Amino acid sequence: MFINWKLREINLKIVYYGPSLSGKTSSLEYIHSRTHPDRRGELISLKTREDRTLYFDYMQFQMGEIGGLKPRFNIYTVPGQVYYRGTRKLVLKGVDGIVFVADSQINRLDENLEAIKDLNEDLKELGFEPKDIPFVLQCNKRDLPEIVPVHTLKEHLGLNGIPTYESVAVDGVGVLDGLKSIVNNVVTNARGKINPDLA
Amino acid sequence: MNQGLHVPEELLNQIEYILTHLAEKAHTDSIVLADISGQVISINGIMDEGTPDVVAALAAGDVAAMAELSKRIGESDPHGSFFHEGESKSIYLHNIAGSFILIVIYRAETPIGLVRLFAKRAVEQLIPITEEFEKIVGPPSSYTPDGFSKGITQELNDTFLED
Repeated sequence: MFINWKLREINLKIVYYGPSLSGKTSSLEYIHSRTHPDRRGELISLKTREDRTLYFDYMQFQMGEIGGLKPRFNIYTVPGQVYYRGTRKLVLKGVDGIVFVADSQINRLDENLEAIKDLNEDLKELGFEPKDIPFVLQCNKRDLPEIVPVHTLKEHLGLNGIPTYESVAVDGVGVLDGLKSIVNNVVTNARGKINPDLA
Repeated sequence: MNQGLHVPEELLNQIEYILTHLAEKAHTDSIVLADISGQVISINGIMDEGTPDVVAALAAGDVAAMAELSKRIGESDPHGSFFHEGESKSIYLHNIAGSFILIVIYRAETPIGLVRLFAKRAVEQLIPITEEFEKIVGPPSSYTPDGFSKGITQELNDTFLED
């Protein structure tokens, strides 16, 4: 969170995190396509020749003034492949909210577990207490045949009690619901940070 | 930094003064001061709407990667500077104490030595100011955040186009 008191702008950072090919970039592409053109910036994707995320995908959108402050959201994805862990940690710097995009397929459960373990470790190394960060679970690929029930997925990932949304990111189903939820949580959390008495 | 940065107007004015001086002395095209997570703090010069945010996000990734590269070759202080030389415009990045990034965009005909000289002086002036950021933990006393988070649902509906 960064507040420019001269311009009365509050900058907030949301990161879409998850294992490789879970649907993070598809989610961001859909969000960008559905954001009002007057309120969004360019979608930036740093990809490999194989069209996989190398560094991150990035977009920014802003909303109208709320309570005397103009919120600007910087949305990032991280590269999911195991060997890009260093990059994922860099993108998490200064994060205000996380959407964990899980791959719902039964044969991807281990990758989801590994990603959530890495995420918790990276957050601790960056000085965050993971439970204090606004968090949303987006269970993606719900249209595929062999998928884990949502409650089972949450239990395996240790995410019981976390706001959860089912999605089909390539079609945009459920993506905006997850985003709106994290934006709400991040704004509420920011309000508490601005004035702890209101937390 | 995890609790966030509150940058009051007087510090922003000081930063703007330093960036303006740098722009005049080094004949820069535009300058962005960002924090290490890629958030824009101050801008000098004219850039298209949204461009500073993208520049800051990409520069943060670049600086972080360069810091890691420096460590791999045994550099004890990975907080240096580096630049990209383009055909018409070039970019100079300076990592400020591992917490902030000075991004200077200048025309290719401008000597890099000039940019480096005045950018380093600007960084020396910016360090004590950016250190002040860390000490400020709350908003100005004139601000009451009661309304912040109210009206968010309407704003979300106005921002995103439903199918």
